[in-house]
Amino acid sequence: MHIKGVGMTKFSTEENNSTHIIYESAMEALDDSGLSMNEIDAVVLSNNDIISNGERQRHSASLLSSLFQKKMPIIAVPAGCAGGGTALWAAVRLQKSKNYNNLLVIGFEKMVSNLSKRVTDEMLMGTERIYEQNEGMNFPAENALVAQQYMMKCGATSDDLALVALKNHQNAYKNPKARFYRKKVSIDEIKNSPMVASPLRLFDCSIPANGAASLVLSNDKTDVEIVASTQESDYLAPFERDDLTSWYASRKAAEEAYSQAQITPNDIDIAELHDAFTSVELISYEDLGFCRTGEGKELIRKGYTNFDGKLPVNVSGGLKAKGHPISATGISQVYELVKQMRNQAGERQVDNVKYGLAQNIGGAGSTVTVHILKKV
Amino acid sequence: MIIRWVCEKCDKKWIYPVEKCIFCKGNITKQKGTKIKVVGMTKVNIPSPMHPITPYNILLLQDEFGNRIPKKTMKEYKIEDIYVEERAKTKNAVAVIKIKYDIYEAIKYSLELIGGMNFDKKDRILIKPSAVAAAYPYQAVNTNPKFIDALLDILEEKGVKKENILVAEQALIGSDASDAASKAGILEICKKHGVGFADISKGPFEEIESDGITLKIFKEALHRKIINVPVMKTNFQLGISGAVENLSRLVDESTQRKMYFEGVDNSLPNLVKLLKDVLTIADGTNGMQGQGPLALGEPAFLNLVLTSNNAANLDVVFCETTMLPIPSHVANSGDKVELKNIEVVGNDLDALKYPIKQPSSNETPHSDIKVIDFKACPKCLNMLYNLSSKLVGLRGREIEVVMGSMFSADELKGKERIVLLGSCAIRRSEELKMGPVAKIGEDIGDVEQLVLLKKLLTTEGTPKITNVDKVKSKITKLFSKVAK
Repeated sequence: MHIKGVGMTKFSTEENNSTHIIYESAMEALDDSGLSMNEIDAVVLSNNDIISNGERQRHSASLLSSLFQKKMPIIAVPAGCAGGGTALWAAVRLQKSKNYNNLLVIGFEKMVSNLSKRVTDEMLMGTERIYEQNEGMNFPAENALVAQQYMMKCGATSDDLALVALKNHQNAYKNPKARFYRKKVSIDEIKNSPMVASPLRLFDCSIPANGAASLVLSNDKTDVEIVASTQESDYLAPFERDDLTSWYASRKAAEEAYSQAQITPNDIDIAELHDAFTSVELISYEDLGFCRTGEGKELIRKGYTNFDGKLPVNVSGGLKAKGHPISATGISQVYELVKQMRNQAGERQVDNVKYGLAQNIGGAGSTVTVHILKKV
Repeated sequence: MIIRWVCEKCDKKWIYPVEKCIFCKGNITKQKGTKIKVVGMTKVNIPSPMHPITPYNILLLQDEFGNRIPKKTMKEYKIEDIYVEERAKTKNAVAVIKIKYDIYEAIKYSLELIGGMNFDKKDRILIKPSAVAAAYPYQAVNTNPKFIDALLDILEEKGVKKENILVAEQALIGSDASDAASKAGILEICKKHGVGFADISKGPFEEIESDGITLKIFKEALHRKIINVPVMKTNFQLGISGAVENLSRLVDESTQRKMYFEGVDNSLPNLVKLLKDVLTIADGTNGMQGQGPLALGEPAFLNLVLTSNNAANLDVVFCETTMLPIPSHVANSGDKVELKNIEVVGNDLDALKYPIKQPSSNETPHSDIKVIDFKACPKCLNMLYNLSSKLVGLRGREIEVVMGSMFSADELKGKERIVLLGSCAIRRSEELKMGPVAKIGEDIGDVEQLVLLKKLLTTEGTPKITNVDKVKSKITKLFSKVAK
């Protein structure tokens, strides 16, 4: 399976209708692929039913039919923050089973359009209703408890988390589509930012944004091939799992992905990871096999995952600084990998990218997709 | 307590109540962890609508089986601390418990915390739910039947004989208790457990003198131990319909009218003082917010059980959790009914607080129809709410609907567009020899009442019901009967 074109809007707080951002990202992906909507056989989309944005628009599959003025198979695949990755995973399988030639995959979200507490509440709905939501367990709190366990177990510190934030902000500075493009953030600002849910500070948390990302999957051979596409799930609430500090779904999805691609973690040249919280990036280093369990902190301390490190992670700025419009995130990760493989990443271009990995997570490790792309 | 549902055969474990193992089809037992310690803690500084007060802490608790749950609290803990929920030390304490999918366990645990039920196996028990009007359980108008079901299970386990249990209720004046209990699913639960259901309005009653007032109280309520099982709701007239208000329907209709006529703020506390041995186990599974206590209110999804031997204390704790003002009828139902004098056990009360939608005493569903309530009984108030809700969208000039009888001419002076609704208000206006004023009596049909209210809203003067209106009303009633 190959990627023929990619597109995404700037991740921002701009107040555009969903239809506007979907259209913009789809148009860019089509232009990039050299195709028109006439040549698209089906669409797989992902989006959450966010009520607080005022759109009150459900049945997004048919919405896209109206927007694109085309009658064709369209399915929606919501999966929380892993929606984009899951849509791509579903699209790969749909394309194989139906033998579609060209398939459009879209993730979009308009989430920054109400009071912060409403948006927090909206996100809270992704946690378990009675045991978590009822106990005030929003996502920062859920991840804070995980981060605390991880730090106690592995000896990682708040300074390590701050290094992750700094790295991703430095990367976003160079990404015109990032919410923090050309915005400098210092280590002091990060370390002194307000505590959101201890031990996680404001700068340990990803930033909400509105945005959409699209890609065109094709049977035609192109310069970027999807060599692995995996998806795994785990229990919704981390407290229910045996181990809070290592996420089964991530490990399993990665293991299977390396097997599909017939490579090892050492072969990955660049990775876009789901840094919804800085602690998640450290845990992911371990779960994806970039280091051994408990050694995630060493990678960030040694600059291994920096832009100029051996394995640059989140050169787009990640969810942390590019922004996290929920269902668009997974597709935007693939957008970045494709741009890197085509040497179109401008000042954030990493040299000689052959294999790129995208990890997209829903909940605190509840749904994970891993995609590995290869420069052909 | 931390509960898991575990397969007896293959040891699979669930955080949800399941009845059979989906893998090996084995039976399920409950694993209850009671030795609980703190293994993690975060202090949360960002508010959300259901958790508006920050900072708050979330503990990660773990039991002796390794099972974990998060727990919100305002108290400070350290990792490795033992987590204990203290038992009540005082008789009038209130237990407040969050339901973790299992109503039965929540009720049982709340009873444990207040020292158990003070019942003997041979005691005759009256269960007094809320079943005020025909409504489905999801509407939270009436006590959730699953709540009654769980309570009956607990009583049976305690050895209370089913023939000694009576479930009794009286619907709001003008409604039928059996209809209400049937639609609420309560009759079905009574049938399942083989316990009887009585419509209190049918009596018999005993006359009791209190503070110079004669109250006709349901005889069974005076000779049985009472388990008061209200659903916790907002009430546009009283502030809340809770533990105290639920007891008001233990008297006959005439006494109820008298109580409202004389002011429930004092008459209801008088009644409460006459009732001995009342244990309240309040249903906050959903609860109601907004313009309760009937179908204009909306479910609040409180997920709580509140239990106490003191109905007023329980209402105060409910008001505290939902951030509603404490109504006078509650405050007057005992000495020093204030939160500072109440022992609260179970959940950390401060961690539960979030503001549910408050009722408004002068608003109706129609923005141009306002209420001036001079101690009307619920029948008239509900009549107005039903009528005004049918006129939503029809704009007119604002009218103020006067109900009840506790008003003087001075109190209505200067008000231009007044409508008297109900026999109490009309009678009072006649006593005061008020001039021509629009009236909607209880003696005309509901269609005619609606037509009249519509005319009053949209025209000047004091319109009357015409013969055409009367014919329309009769036809509508006839169709309604045929449809039934």
